[in-house]
Amino acid sequence: MLAEKYAERIQKIFSKYPDKRSAVMPLLYVAQEEFGWVSPEAIEEVAVLCEIDPTQVKSIAGFYTMYSEKPKGKYWLQVCTDFPCALRGADQFHQALLDHLGIEEGGTTEDGLFTVEHVMCLAACDKAPMLQCNFHYVENLDMDKMKALLDQWRADAKDSAAD
Amino acid sequence: MVTIYIDGVGYEVPAGTNLVDVAKFYADNDIPVFCYHPKMAPVGMCRMCLVEMGSVEKDKESGTVLLDEQGSPKIRWMPKMQTACTQTVYDGLAIRTNTQQVTEAREDIVEFLLTSHPLDCPICDKGGECPLQNLTMRHGPGVSVFYFEDKMHLAKHVPLGELIYLDRERCIQCARCIRFSDELAGDDVLAFHERGRALQIVTVSDPPFDSKFSGNTTDICPVGALTTADFRFGARPWELKEVPSIDPYGPEGANISLSTRLDRDSGGGIIIKRVMPRQNEHVNEIWISDKTRFGHHHTRHIDRLVTPLHREKNTLIETTWDKAFKQIIDKLKGATSVGAIAGPGLSNEDLWELRQLVLAVGGSEKSLGIWPATMSGGEVVKQVGIAKGSNFNTMGKGTVIVLVATDLEEEAPIWWLRAKAARDRGATVVVLNGRPTKMDRYAKFSLRHEYGDAVGAINSLTAHIVNGNHHKADRAEGFAELQKALKKVKADDRYAAAAEAIAGADNVVVFCGAEGVTLAQHAELMQACANVLILTGHVGRTNNGLIPVWPGANTQGAIDLGYTAEATAELLQNPPAVLIVAGCNPVGEDIAAANLRNADFVIVTSQFDTATTAIADVVLPQQSFAEREGTFTSGERRVQRFYAAQGVIGESFPDWKIFAQVRHAIDKSTAKVSAGAVMAEITKSVAAYSAMGYKNLAQVERQFPDVGGTDQYYGGTAYQNTGGIGVQWPVSAENAEAKLNVVPVSSEKSKAKGLLVVPTTLLYDRGMLFVRSEIMSLRIPPAHANFSPADAQKLKLQDGDMVEINLEGASLTVQIIVNETIPAGVITLPKCLSDQPGPFAPMVAGSIEKVAQALAATGD
Amino acid sequence: MAYILLRDLDIPDIGKLDVYTTNGGWEGFKKAVTQHTPEEVINIVIDSNLRGRGGAGFSAGRKWSFIPKNEPVKYVVVNADESEPGTFKDRQIMEKNPYQLIEGAMICAYAIQATAVYIYCRGEFWDLAHNLEACIAEAREQNLIGQNILGGNWSCDMFVHLGAGAYICGEESALLNSLQGFLGQPRVRPPFPAQKGGGLYYEPTVVNNVETLANVPWILVNGAAEYKKIGTPESPGPKIFSVSGHVARPGNYEVPLGTTFRELLFDKAGGTGTNKAFKALLPSGASGPVIPVTEQMLDTPMTYEALGKLGSTLGSASFILMDESTDMVWAAYKMIKFFKHESCGKCTPCREGTHWLAKLMEHVIHGEATMLDLEKLENVAKQMNGKSLCALNDFAINPILATLKHFRSEYVAYIKTPAPAAKPKQPAPVKKQLEEVAEPAGD
Repeated sequence: MLAEKYAERIQKIFSKYPDKRSAVMPLLYVAQEEFGWVSPEAIEEVAVLCEIDPTQVKSIAGFYTMYSEKPKGKYWLQVCTDFPCALRGADQFHQALLDHLGIEEGGTTEDGLFTVEHVMCLAACDKAPMLQCNFHYVENLDMDKMKALLDQWRADAKDSAAD
Repeated sequence: MVTIYIDGVGYEVPAGTNLVDVAKFYADNDIPVFCYHPKMAPVGMCRMCLVEMGSVEKDKESGTVLLDEQGSPKIRWMPKMQTACTQTVYDGLAIRTNTQQVTEAREDIVEFLLTSHPLDCPICDKGGECPLQNLTMRHGPGVSVFYFEDKMHLAKHVPLGELIYLDRERCIQCARCIRFSDELAGDDVLAFHERGRALQIVTVSDPPFDSKFSGNTTDICPVGALTTADFRFGARPWELKEVPSIDPYGPEGANISLSTRLDRDSGGGIIIKRVMPRQNEHVNEIWISDKTRFGHHHTRHIDRLVTPLHREKNTLIETTWDKAFKQIIDKLKGATSVGAIAGPGLSNEDLWELRQLVLAVGGSEKSLGIWPATMSGGEVVKQVGIAKGSNFNTMGKGTVIVLVATDLEEEAPIWWLRAKAARDRGATVVVLNGRPTKMDRYAKFSLRHEYGDAVGAINSLTAHIVNGNHHKADRAEGFAELQKALKKVKADDRYAAAAEAIAGADNVVVFCGAEGVTLAQHAELMQACANVLILTGHVGRTNNGLIPVWPGANTQGAIDLGYTAEATAELLQNPPAVLIVAGCNPVGEDIAAANLRNADFVIVTSQFDTATTAIADVVLPQQSFAEREGTFTSGERRVQRFYAAQGVIGESFPDWKIFAQVRHAIDKSTAKVSAGAVMAEITKSVAAYSAMGYKNLAQVERQFPDVGGTDQYYGGTAYQNTGGIGVQWPVSAENAEAKLNVVPVSSEKSKAKGLLVVPTTLLYDRGMLFVRSEIMSLRIPPAHANFSPADAQKLKLQDGDMVEINLEGASLTVQIIVNETIPAGVITLPKCLSDQPGPFAPMVAGSIEKVAQALAATGD
Repeated sequence: MAYILLRDLDIPDIGKLDVYTTNGGWEGFKKAVTQHTPEEVINIVIDSNLRGRGGAGFSAGRKWSFIPKNEPVKYVVVNADESEPGTFKDRQIMEKNPYQLIEGAMICAYAIQATAVYIYCRGEFWDLAHNLEACIAEAREQNLIGQNILGGNWSCDMFVHLGAGAYICGEESALLNSLQGFLGQPRVRPPFPAQKGGGLYYEPTVVNNVETLANVPWILVNGAAEYKKIGTPESPGPKIFSVSGHVARPGNYEVPLGTTFRELLFDKAGGTGTNKAFKALLPSGASGPVIPVTEQMLDTPMTYEALGKLGSTLGSASFILMDESTDMVWAAYKMIKFFKHESCGKCTPCREGTHWLAKLMEHVIHGEATMLDLEKLENVAKQMNGKSLCALNDFAINPILATLKHFRSEYVAYIKTPAPAAKPKQPAPVKKQLEEVAEPAGD
């Protein structure tokens, strides 16, 4: 399924490396994009493409934190609460965000829109508090800005659902 | 040799070896290890083997070692401790293993490991032979400062498939199991998941832990994290008595140890609790296949025959040995013709006594058949079989390993494992077969020929060798004739590079199987292989020669004692008046054996009721390999002893004893009273076996690397070889003066039209002994046939459909698998997967009818 | 003086190829390829005494010179897995001035005659990595990368590989494993990456940090002698300091090595920006030992050597500042949790040690610890010290040992349970008995 749908992209990925196995990580990103998470089907498909056992793919998906082996919300919010950010109030920001959305750490809102997780250093220590939303940087945050962003994402989600 | 210094003492050790191995072997210094294993590349993960390390200082000009005031070599020590396991020895290497720093480091590592370990030794299967337990006793800190309440609790009974269980709490993340499966077995089906302290072993292959060698991971696991479903909770290691034995299934002659004890399951008698590898670096090192490990259950299966049976009013009923013997003796005495078919699990002693009996009642060698009767070429082996003293451990760069007409992993998994390891050390692999097999992944040359044309393929190699003037004809008898014949061979260009590699190699080993060839073609194929070996000079020297991939544990022994497949073929064609079938089931397995019903009187020795006992007039209960003594001869012609391990089941007897007693009654010869005495007679009568007395066969030598000795860290007490490492008999090529026959052989393809059915061999089948190990039932595939996509399409068949294939009067119902690796025009049909007999030789299929649709296709 | 690395501060559009080129971009590369042999380029970089900016400070030119000349396949791998807490300098270079990295990497590739360059970006650099790919494509169109570069015989392509969230992949051998599609766990060395068998796909490989390579174009244009005029003789050249934590103006500051702490922390970063004083400084992110900020120390010039004398390390020069309100026990707890999370799990001391240090720190933070636990912290750290394959293990004990050394009283304040009069009763010394039994046999 991936092989057909993303043929060109996959072809480009393979062309970068002399060894098919190197494509595991980029292909897991493709699969995660398609399935929303690294599902067992995703693992199977990547394994077939890279000509290795699914166990090897599962292993890679488990080692690296940016692959999620559980389904996530439409917006995966990863708040850096590592030491430098924490010095600038990231822990408090993280808790406020959880409270605002009414979820626990690692949880997903009931509407399936937002998953909040705290993560280790994202190399944006000078712009804390900050987070990554689906791997895009959102920096210099406070809860006012955050609420506005959440509203905007909710609206975006509605629009895309209406399309 | 190089000089290394361990704790101030100099030792001469072989260059290029591993420091941990040589310290143990030469200095008797056990550097403790958990992750390191001498059979795998070091990874330096567990850090248990940290030692102080340095190099002796040498004078820059003269290279002489500089000495300090005390006269000891001056050593430049490294600032940090280093892992010994990742160090290859070099001249002037120095280590200290007895300093406070090293002692403390060992305590530190053991304490770290134990803080996360459940210490449930009293209920752990490994307890008593556990490296972690042992090394804790020797190097542990004795007390720990960590809080017991902080210990992690993890899943304890995680099935990695139905054969192997994982206890996550006990695992110390040494990765031995992962590395064995990936590096040695070539099955990348185990891996770490997560990271840091959460690291855990997982498998998501289909079926889970999909490897034919999975059981070996439980042996090398240095803790009780991996256990087999077969043995877990079965016994404590210290209750077990280890009995040396030999794998009863394969031609590799894997050395095994039967762990036995008195057991409730046998009403208090001795039974096998598990099968472990027994170290023999010449044969199987410390590895066995899962078939060998888990296939022992037939030895005490409820269906074992316990009394003789004889036919009365067309049914078999119980009788006594006396009555059965009387019947047999009467029939044999008056027989107009006698023949015997001997199974693959008969010992040399059984075979000898059967032979003597047949000859005593008027039979000849022409009436001594082997089963399965698929392979020929005993005479070729006598000339160019792999030379005595050859060892896959010493093969690497410069060696070419050729696989002809065999799916080696399925037919002889230990050879596959060792050949692959040689390849990983630099050997070149050439595969010649009609379809790809697992070894093709590792082959430099994967050469496909049309099934039926294996001889043609080898002739192409020979032609390239001779045409390219790469040959040495000095020892070749009949070369002129061969050269003349080769002129007619059209040398296929695809074989040129492989031919050159073979001709230019230091060493060449050829594995010859019989996939896709008839018995007649196989005789030619063996000769064709011999031609290549002789003409390239790859005979008579260690690590050179031919290894026939025989179908059974003692096919070589049978051939050595005069049995042949050709005799079997003749017996199937024209059954004798009195037929003895010993330890095999031709009628149930091979459609060509149906004719055996026409023998007047059939005597069968067997452990179980089979389609063959069903046609018998007398059935005699035969002992399994575990209840008696004997010898098997491996495909490398190593004669090896196995010993009686468990109590006798019912009134069963070993075959040699049965036949000896019958003969005694007929010709008043002295009946032998022990297997050893039978072998003593063989040593006097069969030249090749003159050195095979039981005493010789029981000789052992210390193994290197030593993983079964008194060390505390390689676990698995059954590794130690106590029963003998066996003795090989030499081939004639080893005599440098001997001339060797090269013979022109030709390839005649069958002219019949239609789909060619090629029988193949699977490791896990429904053979009458293996099928009794129910633990393996999920690994035995259903009866099936592989069709090429093109043929499936032509016949309008889909994956999963059931079809009836008609073959020379027999018909066979199987599920079909559409398989891209199968060439068009061919159906591969694995042998012995159903209760119906199938073909053992390639033949053209008659009609093929679909009898049921695949489930998916009906939309259910 | 104009910026050498953070040129975007002078020329905001430097991230566009035409702007980069018209401002002297690619001159160093063209000079290298058209006027110098590969050996000459290596010698220039050796001469410049450019030291690796990833943390270890090893001579970049010497590293290049280790690559065997006669191997047909060789690689350059750019370590852009910037993951050290407090470090965000490479990100700015790649985001704002990507061509300078690309050019530097291509000069290195030319110098070792590499067949391909891989930029290993941490996965979180998702957007900038995709931008880098676009930049590489543009440079490829101009024949600066790819087949027969600048009309010569040498061909070398460049690719971006995204990591996926693992600090350990900043360790070069773990990075190579990761790039090959394996777990990011360090390899046993030797063989080293520069040797056959040790590098990417087991071929000889140079692994350099982003900032290191970004220095190279300037060196080629202006010469080694000019470069050595910047900074100190032992540590020449400009250096980017990432400053974060309790400062008024956090951010990246490019100053010559040898600048004083005071200049950076007050003149550039604006002090704490509050009425609180600085208390402590982590000069190389979470992995170097913390040092108290003192008046005397503020006037020290910042070099690799000076930081060593202060009992710490310059490392990647990521300054995390803590003012007097900072709870140092909490700081240590935060950092050990980081290392526990990032331990790859390969070596026993690191896998188990980080786990137990975090557990013990949890007890301290929750007021459940005794004075004995402080000893345990030190003991576990000692048990770990120097016993693992890579440096993460040794980094992980720094936050604990350094805070215990400088701020022990803060730990003591957390101890609610009074110290027991005597050590709790230990079980009988089993070890002793064992040794006595084992000794004769062992010796």
